[in-house]
Amino acid sequence: MTRRDFSERDIHMALDGELPGEERMAYDAWLEANPEMKARSARYIADRAAMRAAFAGVIDEPVPARLRQVVFGEMPAKAPAWRSRWWLSAAAAVVLALGGFGGYVAGIDSASRGGDGDDKLAEQAIAAHVIYAAEKRHAVEVPASDKDHLQTWLSNRVGLKLVAPDLAAEGFELIGGRLLPAGEQGKAAMLLYEDAKGERISLFVTAESSATSKGTYTAEGGGPEAVYWLDKGYACAVVGSLPPERLSDVAKSAYGQLLAGISS
Amino acid sequence: MDDKKAAILSEIPRLRRYARSLLRDRDSADDLVQDCLERALLRLDNWQTGESPRRWLFTIMHHLFIDQMRKVNRRGEAAILPLEAGEAQAAPADQVETIASREIMDALQAISPDRRAALVMVAIEGFSYAEAANILGVPAGTLMSRIARGREELRGLLEDTSRRRSIRIVEK
Repeated sequence: MTRRDFSERDIHMALDGELPGEERMAYDAWLEANPEMKARSARYIADRAAMRAAFAGVIDEPVPARLRQVVFGEMPAKAPAWRSRWWLSAAAAVVLALGGFGGYVAGIDSASRGGDGDDKLAEQAIAAHVIYAAEKRHAVEVPASDKDHLQTWLSNRVGLKLVAPDLAAEGFELIGGRLLPAGEQGKAAMLLYEDAKGERISLFVTAESSATSKGTYTAEGGGPEAVYWLDKGYACAVVGSLPPERLSDVAKSAYGQLLAGISS
Repeated sequence: MDDKKAAILSEIPRLRRYARSLLRDRDSADDLVQDCLERALLRLDNWQTGESPRRWLFTIMHHLFIDQMRKVNRRGEAAILPLEAGEAQAAPADQVETIASREIMDALQAISPDRRAALVMVAIEGFSYAEAANILGVPAGTLMSRIARGREELRGLLEDTSRRRSIRIVEK
């Protein structure tokens, strides 16, 4: 019989069927001689049984029709992006937890969050849009009539060179802007625009270390869409309930002008 | 071709179980399975005939899962989903869960996605360390440490829950 020292690691290996057969007897003897390890092993065995039991029923559920259809080539129409829906609910759960346990979260979140966060950016931008675009009289803090001051003020606060893009070619006039919190410490500028029909879009801009990314984002339950990009230290999102092509055109124009503004 | 499709179809129950343990919510889990199947069918040629589709499909699904979870996780997902999240995130009405099942599902959601995947792959799906390491694309040592940490973390969370439950009973 092989003689060797066992450790906690072997508890996992034994549980997962990875302990070589010839070591089994020596392991069992070790477990008998170490009540603490034996108790730990017993708890892990019970947890595994509970895990298996919790998900056992899934195997017997009928396969949903939509999954069968995928295999048999009748693909249900859906957005081209892979990152379509399922993970949004994971993100939604995070937001839910954030809202519900804000106090608990506040201390931990800042420590664990890294620099990148394009979905978070989009969520913040959408949340701000939903709140302020609906405001008739108090949508902005500084009106477009004071555009120079608006740009200087927001640039200083957010810490980025910021120009309010001219979106007249896309049919949108600047209403004004406001300063908002972003992340834990950060600040964001929100610029609100309106077209002749009263449709509003917003541009949300904040500083974002070095991440580079772009995409679109809609909350699972629908609502406004965000077209966002992270580049050159800027994190921007254009939010609105426009047809996707139009929103994308607006976003391209805004992006181009912001970039041009940096180098001017 | 049709043999391949039949083989894929027969793996769906296991893919759904894996997805459910990763994501908990039934619809989200099925969305993940759907994404996985769509990607698999586009890449049927990558699957060597004669080989079980299981490892191939699990690999595809794992990549889809982990790519997105990394983004969520950077925002502190692991840290901000305490056990109470299960109370906020109500289970679907058609899902009858015992308290024990619910507790273990919640606890599983609260550990990091990497550890969750490693643990579930071995403890529920029954893959060997070698297979699981291959599917997850990590060295065996990394896999083992994720499993060990995952189990410890899960146990700690479950102990917290039962402690909290007994405190509540005392308070009432």
